[in-house]
Amino acid sequence: MTTNSEPITTAAAPPRRSPWRDRLAENWHIFSRNPLGLAGLILLSIFAAMALLSFVPPMIDPMYHPMTGVDPLVLHSVGPSARHWLGTDFMGRDILSQLLAGTRVAFMVGVSAAFMSIVLGVSIGMVAGYAGGIVDTLLMRLAEIIMVLPTLLVVLMLSALFGKLDIWTIVLLIALFRWPGVSRVIRAQTLSLKSRPFIDAARVAGASHTRIVFRHIMPNVLPLAFLYMTFRVTAAIIIEAALAFLGFGDPSTVSWGMMLQWVWKTGHMFQAPYWLFPPGLCISLLTLSFYLLGRAMDEVLDPRLREENGTV
Amino acid sequence: MDQTLSPAPILELRGISKHYRSRGRSGRGGGQDVVALDQISLDFRPAEIFGLVGESGSGKTTCGRLIVGLEKADQGEMVLQGRSYGTLKGQALRDYRRQVQIIFQDPYQSLNPQISILDSVAEPLVTNRIGDGKSRLEKVLATLKAVGLAPPEDYAYRFPHQLSGGQRQRVAIARAMILGPKVLVADEPTSMLDASYSAQIFDILLEVRQRLDTTIILITHSLAAARYLCDRIAVIYRGHLMEVGPAETIISNPRHPYTQALIDATPKFGDCASLPRYGTLVSPERPASGAAGCAFFRRCGLAHLARCARQAPELRPLTPGHLVACHYSEESPDPETGATCRLGGMS
Repeated sequence: MTTNSEPITTAAAPPRRSPWRDRLAENWHIFSRNPLGLAGLILLSIFAAMALLSFVPPMIDPMYHPMTGVDPLVLHSVGPSARHWLGTDFMGRDILSQLLAGTRVAFMVGVSAAFMSIVLGVSIGMVAGYAGGIVDTLLMRLAEIIMVLPTLLVVLMLSALFGKLDIWTIVLLIALFRWPGVSRVIRAQTLSLKSRPFIDAARVAGASHTRIVFRHIMPNVLPLAFLYMTFRVTAAIIIEAALAFLGFGDPSTVSWGMMLQWVWKTGHMFQAPYWLFPPGLCISLLTLSFYLLGRAMDEVLDPRLREENGTV
Repeated sequence: MDQTLSPAPILELRGISKHYRSRGRSGRGGGQDVVALDQISLDFRPAEIFGLVGESGSGKTTCGRLIVGLEKADQGEMVLQGRSYGTLKGQALRDYRRQVQIIFQDPYQSLNPQISILDSVAEPLVTNRIGDGKSRLEKVLATLKAVGLAPPEDYAYRFPHQLSGGQRQRVAIARAMILGPKVLVADEPTSMLDASYSAQIFDILLEVRQRLDTTIILITHSLAAARYLCDRIAVIYRGHLMEVGPAETIISNPRHPYTQALIDATPKFGDCASLPRYGTLVSPERPASGAAGCAFFRRCGLAHLARCARQAPELRPLTPGHLVACHYSEESPDPETGATCRLGGMS
């Protein structure tokens, strides 16, 4: 505890304040002073709004459906107009509605793959760190083996073997290949927590190993896990886009990578900038926004700053 | 131990030994074991406060951790109310651990920062499946009140970082006593606190003893604190018991040179020119005795090379209930003066 935390500890502090809320307020204070983090947050909110708006165009007119909606008046790619704000693709589908649907897919892929890899990484990291010994060795060697495999290449090979993969299989594969980094960090954190007296206290209180790991250690590693989740989102979105662009995506889903593949495959690469740029720009900006958010959170969770919070 | 006067002990340690392997490379002689405890035999009587006194690294904390089952002894057995700890399994083991609780030294580290006071104190009830949500809440509130955190509703929903060190230590005591343990190990419960808090914590411990008939094993480096609280004291040095006996006897008539050195080292205040000084420490230290010699040989002013370096003294009764492990316990020097000046530092 440093003197900075003293005001919190005085009797004036109202009861029923959780450390989460205290910390949230304090962390927001640190976060809000970080212009890059704020930029990331604003960018991210725009994309979130886009993802929500993706449900609107098909409701206006079936021809705005990103996958099946073909404008009967336009049967090839045309530039932006009042009818199609961003123009149409090679068979007359609206690019704006495709872009919005792609945002939804990107969020879905990014967040669910990141979430799964975090769940895996946190569980494996906590078990390895807490159990130690042979369990630790085996799990960490496994993590290292997976860590050195190039994810994209392996997923490409798998999809070449099994034909087209659907979007959820891709998500699962990304998760399976992206947990080791998280698990190493969580393991290190668990190792330091394991020797704290409050874990001994829990043991004396009669808590089982499972209870110690999930009730006493997990709440202490979750902030770190959330930080890593933002970085994993970025990685997952890029991998999915790359797969789709190379033609190994899920053909029944409109993702940004898929849009880029259509541009390229139909030979519009240099003919239709209105078609090429939006998805490319969106991929860059969305990954950038998650990255900026992660960096800003990294600063919030920096041990020196955390010590200032008195949460050590 | 053959103490005919004592009532049946609630907890007995019989020949407990604990060694730590040091991590040195085996080829370079660095691989010597560190002796934390060597053949410790102690008995703890119902509702007594027993002081375990020694300097840093003497093994007193290891002893406390062994008693609550956080460490495993290499040798020897622990007997709680006639049942040996080593043979227990499953439910019986859980029942044993319920009876024996601990308060840790550092209240800033012994409470989980992410868990509310209510949940921390209720944890033993939850893990032992006692009561339901409502009865647990009532019990937690009553226990918080008993350790002087009133009104308890104000504290139950807070988190550790909102409390002061003294308040946290009270929470730790509440957590330890909520199951009504037979034995409570207090591992230097006040060394991280201000002196004013220390006295309060000690008073709470005395009250716990009175209300629950709990045996309290107070681990401390301070003879003054031990004297204030304890009925009996054991002095431990490098894992060896040096002297065991009633607190008053140990303080006023120490027969082991190490105990005498500890008393010399206690801070005093007031007019203390007339305090006894034993002067039993030698400096610089002598080279170590062999493994067979007395543990205190290196620093003992009374040691005789011929005897103390070769043969470890046994712990033997000097008077009934007062045991000393020294070849020369009968002839160790009397204090230079017999004046009575209170030991300071604590009370």
